[in-house]
Amino acid sequence: MYIYPKKYDCIVIGGGHAGCEAALICARLKLNTLLITISVDTIGAMSCNPAIGGLAKGHLVKEVDIFGGEMARNIDETGLQFKILNKSKGPAVWSSRAQADMPAYRLRMKHTLEHQDYLDVKQANVEEIVIEDGKIKGVITHIGNEFLCDALIIATGTFLKGKIFIGLNEFHAGRAWEPPADKLSESLAKAGLVIGRLKTGTTPRLDGRTIDFDALEPQMGDDEPIPFSFKTKNFNPPNYPCYLTYTNTKTHEVIRENLDKSPLYSGMIHGIGTRYCPSIEDKVVKFPDRERHQIFLEPQDANSNEIYADGLNTSLDYEVQVKYLRTIKGLEKVEIIRPGYAIEYDFVNPIQLKHTLETKKIRGLFLAGQINGTSGYEEAAAQGMVAGINAAMYLLEKPPFILARDEAYTGVMIDDLVTKGVKEPYRIFTSRAEYRLLLREDNTHLRLAEKSYEYGLIDKVHYEEIQEHIKKVNEAINILKTTYAMPSIDFNKRLESINTKPIKTKVSLSKILARPEINYSLLQTIVPDLPLLNKIQMQQTEIEIKYEGYINLQKQQIEKFKKLESIVIPEDFDYDKVAGLSAEIRTRLKEIMPKTLGQAMRIPGMTPVAIQIISIFIHKKHVQSKPA
Amino acid sequence: MIDDGIIAAIASGYVESAIGIIRVSGKNSIELLKKIFYPKKNTFEPYKIYHGFLKDSNQKIVDEVLVSVFKSPHSYTGEDSFEINCHGGLLIMQNVLDLVLKNGARLALPGEFTKRAFLNDKIDLLQANAIVNLIKAKTQKALDIAFGQLLKKNTTIIEELREKIIFLMAENEVLIDHPDEDLSDVDLNKRLLILNEITKLIQKLLKFSEKGKYFFEGVNVAIIGKPNVGKSSLLNELTGHNRAIVTDIPGTTTDIVSETLNLNGIPIKILDTAGIRKHSNKIEYLGIKKSHEAIDEADIIIAVFDSSRILDKNDEDILNIIKNKKNVLIVLNKSDLKRKLLLPLNIDPIEISCTKKTGINTLKSRLYNMLIEDYNESEVVSLNTSQIIALKSALKHAKKIKKAYIDSLDPALISIDLQQLADYIEQIIGKIENEDILDNVFKNFCVGK
Ligand SMILES: Cc1cc2nc3c(=O)[nH]c(=O)nc-3n(C[C@H](O)[C@H](O)[C@H](O)COP(=O)(O)OP(=O)(O)OC[C@H]3O[C@@H](n4cnc5c(N)ncnc54)[C@H](O)[C@@H]3O)c2cc1C
Ligand SMILES: Nc1nc2c(ncn2[C@@H]2O[C@H](COP(=O)(O)OP(=O)(O)OP(=O)(O)O)[C@@H](O)[C@H]2O)c(=O)[nH]1
Ligand SMILES: [Mg+2]
Repeated sequence: MYIYPKKYDCIVIGGGHAGCEAALICARLKLNTLLITISVDTIGAMSCNPAIGGLAKGHLVKEVDIFGGEMARNIDETGLQFKILNKSKGPAVWSSRAQADMPAYRLRMKHTLEHQDYLDVKQANVEEIVIEDGKIKGVITHIGNEFLCDALIIATGTFLKGKIFIGLNEFHAGRAWEPPADKLSESLAKAGLVIGRLKTGTTPRLDGRTIDFDALEPQMGDDEPIPFSFKTKNFNPPNYPCYLTYTNTKTHEVIRENLDKSPLYSGMIHGIGTRYCPSIEDKVVKFPDRERHQIFLEPQDANSNEIYADGLNTSLDYEVQVKYLRTIKGLEKVEIIRPGYAIEYDFVNPIQLKHTLETKKIRGLFLAGQINGTSGYEEAAAQGMVAGINAAMYLLEKPPFILARDEAYTGVMIDDLVTKGVKEPYRIFTSRAEYRLLLREDNTHLRLAEKSYEYGLIDKVHYEEIQEHIKKVNEAINILKTTYAMPSIDFNKRLESINTKPIKTKVSLSKILARPEINYSLLQTIVPDLPLLNKIQMQQTEIEIKYEGYINLQKQQIEKFKKLESIVIPEDFDYDKVAGLSAEIRTRLKEIMPKTLGQAMRIPGMTPVAIQIISIFIHKKHVQSKPA
Repeated sequence: MIDDGIIAAIASGYVESAIGIIRVSGKNSIELLKKIFYPKKNTFEPYKIYHGFLKDSNQKIVDEVLVSVFKSPHSYTGEDSFEINCHGGLLIMQNVLDLVLKNGARLALPGEFTKRAFLNDKIDLLQANAIVNLIKAKTQKALDIAFGQLLKKNTTIIEELREKIIFLMAENEVLIDHPDEDLSDVDLNKRLLILNEITKLIQKLLKFSEKGKYFFEGVNVAIIGKPNVGKSSLLNELTGHNRAIVTDIPGTTTDIVSETLNLNGIPIKILDTAGIRKHSNKIEYLGIKKSHEAIDEADIIIAVFDSSRILDKNDEDILNIIKNKKNVLIVLNKSDLKRKLLLPLNIDPIEISCTKKTGINTLKSRLYNMLIEDYNESEVVSLNTSQIIALKSALKHAKKIKKAYIDSLDPALISIDLQQLADYIEQIIGKIENEDILDNVFKNFCVGK
C-alpha cells in the first residue's frame, strides 16, 4: 500500500455542501487540510432543487456566513433570482431564498477550494477509515492509497450504499448517475457506529423548449434584492422568472392507476422517507380530496434549457412520468431530460455524536451533512461549518465550539439531532426554534459576531463594522425611549401630517413608533434630528420597539432555559446508580449522555419525575464534592 | 442550601378527618406565619405548640388552630418550617392552604419536602433509593388524585382539548413555514371556531370541577326567609340537632348558624340565617347583611314561607330575591296550621311542618335530586387549585388570542401566544412537543415538496 508522505491535520471526505464548508473553515484556520471526493467535477453540486435558502434555511446560510463559511457568498455570486419570503408577515419570519445557477454555483465553489491556502483537493473514493487506540489515524482509498490525518470529517451525503429507483428499476448510485460509496459504510459499521437507512427523491428535469411558458403565471424575484452575505456589497443579481402551474384530477388519475409501478408502494424501498418532502404520489394518496397541487417550474442553469419541476418529486416509472406530466397545463408537449428518481442510502444515527459532531466512540472522527440523517444543502453546510470549526478546536486543543438553542438555528438543529436522533430525514423549520423572535435572519451577524471573532472566524475590519452597526441601532433605540413629546398643538399637527392620532399626554417617541401605521423614516419626517440609519438599521430599530413586549417575554423564557442549561450533568455520571429510573429511560440516558439537565429534559419520552430524580442526584453529588 | 421558595402542602391528606395538618417549609417561612397567625404571644420558639387564630388580610378568622414551629437545621426538611393543625374539614383545610399560598408560599411538588430533607443532609444517601421510590409513588398518587376521575372518565375532553390546541399551533406554523405553498386547506374562519371550542372545553372542565366540588368539598345550603317562618326550626329538623335557638319572637336569629349534614354521602353545610325584613336596629341590620352574603355564596337556597299567614311585603321581597335563581327550593312551613298563604301559581312549593315533622324527608330528597340533577359521573372532575388557576388563566389568554386573530396579528407573535396557552394547561393536557405540531402539520396540510 502506498502511504502518502504528506500528513494532514484534517481530512474531509466529500465535496458536497457539508464537506466544502468543513474543508474551507479548517484551511482558513490554517490547518493543513485535504478534501477527498469521488469526482472533483461535482464539487458543490446541488443534488436536487436549484435553490438556496427558504424558511429557516435562510437563517442557516447566514449563520454559516458569519462563521466564515462560503455558502452565502457563493449564492450571492451565482444566484438567478433573489426573494424575501413571508414579506407579508412580521420580520421575525422573513426568509431569504435564491434560485441558483447550479453549474455556476458548483464551479465557483470548486474555484474557491482550489484557491484556498492550506487546502489540497484530491479525487478518490474512500473505502476505509483507519483507527488506532480509539483515535482516527487516516483513510484508505479505492486504489489502496492511505492518507494520514489527526482529524477526519466524513460528509458523504447520500452516497453510502446509495441505491436509485425509477419505477421498478433499481441500480447502485450515489446521486443520479454517480458511483456510490459501497465499502465506506461497512468500515464505519466495523468501527462500531450503528447504521440505518433513509430515502429521499427528486423531480424530473424538463426541456424548456417544450414548455408553453406563455400559458403560465410568471413569478419574479424582488426588485430590490438583498444578499445573503453581510460581506456582499454592490449587489446586482439577475432576476429570472419561475413559473407556476398545477396538477389536476387527470394527473392524479394517471398516478393512482400506476401506483403498482411505484417502488414506494410496491414495497421495494425500505429506507424511511421524509414527510417534509412528500413525493407527488404520496400527496395524491394522502390527500385524495385535493383537486390540484402547486408546481413551480424553476430555472437551474443560465446556459441551458433544463427546467426543474418543483413539487413533482417522484419515483414512478418513466412511462408514467411522461404521461402524468403531459396532463399538466403548459406541459402538454413536454420532453423529459432527466427523470425523477428516489434514492435509498445509509446514515449514521446522530445520537452517536456529541454537540461538536464528533463521534462519541472514535476520537477525532466528525460527521457532517446528510450522513447524519438530515436533508438539505443548508442543513449540510451548517453542520460542515460546525464540524470544521470543532475539528480545528480539537486539533488546537481549544474549547469546543457549541451553539446553543438560544443562539442560532444551527444550535437548534444540532441539539435536536444529538438529543432526539433521527427517524426520518431531518429538515429545519422555524418552529423548531423556541426563540424565533430573537433568532431572526436580519440580526444573525449582529448576534453572532462576538462569538465568531472569539474563535478567529471573522477579521477585525468586518467585526468592527458590525459593532458599529449594533451601536447605531442601540443608540437610536435609546433616543426613542428617552425622548418625550409634549401634546403641543405644533406636535399634534405634525402627527396629523403623517396620518396618525394626536397625543393627549407626554409620550415617548418609542410609543409613537410602536403604532402599527408608523415606521422610522415616517417618524423622521416629523422629528428630523433622529439619528440617520440605513434600511436594515431602521428595520431592526422598529422590530425592537414594536415587538418589545413579545421580545421581553422571549428573553424571560431564555433565562429559564439557561437556568436548566446551566445545570451540568457530570461526564462520569452513573445512571445505573440512580435508583428509580425506568429501564427505558435509563437506556436512553446512557445512550445520549446529556450534558445538561436541560438537554436531558428534551430527550423524547423523558418524564418530569425522572428529571427530578436526576436533579436530586446531581445536586447531591455537587454538595458532597464541595468541602463542608 | 437550596432556596426555591416556601412550599406548602396538606400533609394529612386530602380526606375528611378530625384534624388537618398543613405543612409549610422554606427560608422566611416563619415571617409568613407571623402574617397570618394570631397567638397570644407573637414570639416563636422552636419545639413549642402555639394556640391561636388564623386570620386573612381582612382580619376575618379562617380557623382556630394549633401551630408547631421548627427552626433550621433541626426540622424535617432542615429549613425553617411550621405545621398548622386545623379542623379537618376539606373546606377548612383548603381555606387554610389557600391562606398560606396567598401569603407567599407555593404548592409543594410531590415529594418535595423529602427532596429538601435529602438535599439538606437530613437523610442519609443510603436512603436515596427509598426516597426516590417515595417521590415516584407520591407523584403517582398526586396524579391519581388530580387526574383520578379526570383521566379515567374524561379522556375525551382532554384529548379533544389537546388536539385542538395542537391544530391551531400547527396551522399557524403552516402559515409561517410554508408561505409559498397552496394553502387552500387553511381556513382562517375555522380557527376562530376552534378557539371558541377550546374555550368551551375549558369552561366545561371548570364546570365539571365545580360539580366535582360537591363531592370533594361539600355544598353550602342557605335557609332564608322573613323572620319567624321557622328557619331555625328547619335547620334543627334537617340536622337532627337542636343547634339553633327557636322562639316565637321574630328576629331571634341575628347571625349565621351553621351545621353539617351528610346527605347520601354528599357533605352539606346548612346555614340558618337571620330573617330578612325592613330592619329595626343595627344588630338586625348586620345580621340581614350577612343573610344576603350567605345567599350569594350558597350553592343551593331553601326559601321558607309561613303557610299560616297571608303573603306580605316581606314575603314579596324574598320572592324577588329568588326570582332569577335556579338553585332554589321553596318550602311552605307550618302546614299543620290553616293555610292562608297563596303563592304565585308558577311555584311548586314543598309543604312541611317542623312541629309535626312532616315533609322533611320529601325536602331532603328534593335537595338531593337537585344536587345530582345534571350530575353524570363522567362529568365530575377533581382539579386542584393550581389546575383551576391554570385553566382560568388559559381562558383569559384565549381571549387575547381571539383578538390577535381578529386583528390579523403577525403569526410569529401569535405563535408565542399559542405557546403560552399550551403552557398554562400543560399540566392537564400533557406537554406539547415540536414533533406533535409537525405531525399535525403534515397530517392535516398538504405541504412540503
Ligand atoms: C435524489 C435526491 C433528492 C433530494 N431531495 C431533497 C429535497 O427534496 N430537499 C432537500 O432539502 N434536500 C434534498 N436532497 C438532499 C440534499 O441534496 C442533500 O441534503 C445535501 O446535498 C447534502 O449535502 P452533503 O454535503 O451532506 O452531501 P452531498 O451533497 O450528497 O455530497 C456528498 C459528497 O461526498 C462525496 N462522497 C461520497 N462518498 C464518498 C467517498 N466514499 N469518498 C469520497 N467522496 C465521497 C460525493 O462525491 C459528494 O461530493 C436530495 C438529495 C438527493 C440525492
Ligand atoms: N305551628 C307551627 N309552628 C312552627 C312550625 N315551625 C316553627 N314554628 C314556630 O314558629 C316560631 C318561629 O320559629 P323559628 O324557627 O324561630 O323561626 P325563624 O324563621 O328562625 O325566626 P327568626 O330567627 O326570628 O327569623 C316558633 O315559635 C316555632 O315554634 C311549624 O311547622 N308549625
Ligand atoms: Mg331563627
